[in-house]
Amino acid sequence: MAVLEARSIQKHFTEGRERVHVLRGIDFDVERGEIVSLEGPSGSGKTTFLSILGCILTPSSGEVSIDGVAADPARLAAIRRRSLGFVFQQFNLFPSLTALENVEYALNIKGLRGEVARNEAERVIEAVGLSDRKSFLPRDLSGGQKQRIAIARALAGASPVILADEPTANLDSVSGAQILDMFRDLAKKENRALVIVTHDPKVRSIADRVVRIHDGRLAA
Amino acid sequence: MVDLATKSLLHDKLRFLITVSGVAFAVTLVFVQVGLFLGLMGNASLTIEHLDADLWVTSRNAANIDFARAFPESYVQRVRSVPGVARADNLIVWFMNVNLPTGAVEGTEVYALEDFERWNFPWNLPEGRLEDLRRGPYFILDESAKKRWGDFRVGDYREVLGRRLKIIGRSVDAKSFTTTPLTFMDYRLAQSLNPSDLRGNTTYILVKLAPGADVEAVRSEIRRRLPYNDVFTGDEWAKHSRRYWVDSTGLGLNMYLTVFLGCLVGIVVVAQTLYTSTMEHIKEFGTVKAIGGGNYDIYLILGKQATIAAVLGFLFGALQAYAIRPLIDRIDLELVIPAELAIAVFIGSIVLCLAAAMISFRKVASIDPALVFRT
Repeated sequence: MAVLEARSIQKHFTEGRERVHVLRGIDFDVERGEIVSLEGPSGSGKTTFLSILGCILTPSSGEVSIDGVAADPARLAAIRRRSLGFVFQQFNLFPSLTALENVEYALNIKGLRGEVARNEAERVIEAVGLSDRKSFLPRDLSGGQKQRIAIARALAGASPVILADEPTANLDSVSGAQILDMFRDLAKKENRALVIVTHDPKVRSIADRVVRIHDGRLAA
Repeated sequence: MVDLATKSLLHDKLRFLITVSGVAFAVTLVFVQVGLFLGLMGNASLTIEHLDADLWVTSRNAANIDFARAFPESYVQRVRSVPGVARADNLIVWFMNVNLPTGAVEGTEVYALEDFERWNFPWNLPEGRLEDLRRGPYFILDESAKKRWGDFRVGDYREVLGRRLKIIGRSVDAKSFTTTPLTFMDYRLAQSLNPSDLRGNTTYILVKLAPGADVEAVRSEIRRRLPYNDVFTGDEWAKHSRRYWVDSTGLGLNMYLTVFLGCLVGIVVVAQTLYTSTMEHIKEFGTVKAIGGGNYDIYLILGKQATIAAVLGFLFGALQAYAIRPLIDRIDLELVIPAELAIAVFIGSIVLCLAAAMISFRKVASIDPALVFRT
């Protein structure tokens, strides 16, 4: 059974008197443990689609359900807390928190507190190989290390779906390749569904499936 | 729980310093202004409170304790015969000139009673004896006169309205609103120094009631017998004297205006720095929302930051005010900071800082978590 389902997703924005159709009816499923690369040219609607899958935007029409729960507008934040992890192109770490605290804070938001949160944060930091950097502030970490921490934050708390937006865009090719390998291993090992929006062809090498968006529609 | 609020606040140390300084400045300003006001107001009615009279008979429409007008001293007999009056004495309060050894002429505010001991006045007398005032051309001078008259010692002489008087005692803490030094001398001596105004006249009658006497009944009877005088209770007269200075000098308006400006400066600084900080951390707040946090989580962060700024700003502001106190004492003013004022300023600091944070709340509510995907 798909852990992430999107049915007939349409999204349009109004600009002045014009209505701009960004997504024109997309059906999309992802299974647990599956890695999907979502590709497409700039302006094709990838990020808008990712925002809808991530319960950050609501579609103009269509339905999204995550882990069997329909994403109705009143419950989006709760679904994000419970079922989704995000990895951003710009890492989006909190600069005043250490690597460990960045992960732990995300767990606090998910409702985990104290020792439970601290242990889980330690576990995922170790999983991304940065135990020796856990007390470093983001400014003292390299780009690759920051992205590992961002991945650890997304994995923390057992969210079944991880959404990544251009996770290698700000990394050099060596770091990017290492991050992707690690990302694949962890997603598979922990049986998480992983959707990666990317322009980077290297992502194809770790993906189980490649999906292309073109003019707001999924292309074969 | 990871304390994002505190860590984020301390992360930008310069901004944090500016925020706390803004609050501290406002707190100091409020403490100094209100403290000075309370100090001055305390002086305005200090002698009234220490004389401990149940009723004060004054000239009609007297402005305050310092600006007295004379009326016949024989009125005291009419008061003494009122049922319920245990004691009634004349009191003269009058400004007189003093020739100093330097050749300068200064003013003094003379308090003259026939029996100072009976009223235990002046109340704090480290040198001299009250009963000696009746024994000759003597007077007791308050310590605060040193500031304007120069140093003096018991046994020195000073010329009051052209007559050489001996200082036989030194009082402490007897002050007036006008900061004119207070002197204490025998009632008849004061009259003899200024016979044109004071011969056969007094400026007040102090009334002590018999135990169980009805204040209003006695007051009513005194009013009936002295229809061209006013009669106040001690509290009323103290308030009346203080209100005169508040209303006539603009002191009250000045205090309220400065307190308002202090609060305004504090709130503007805190609001401005918190709002700028919110704008600079908007992507972080977007991330909080994206990972499942709500507006409430961000309001807590901003509210906590505002509270920390308020508490630290209050502490530094209060410390500054206490540090300024000795300097203010040196110019013969008093900074009075009662516990009630400190508590009110503390609560006010927190409330105003939280109100300032609310300006950022509106911005937070409009943060689109989708901004985390923008580069």
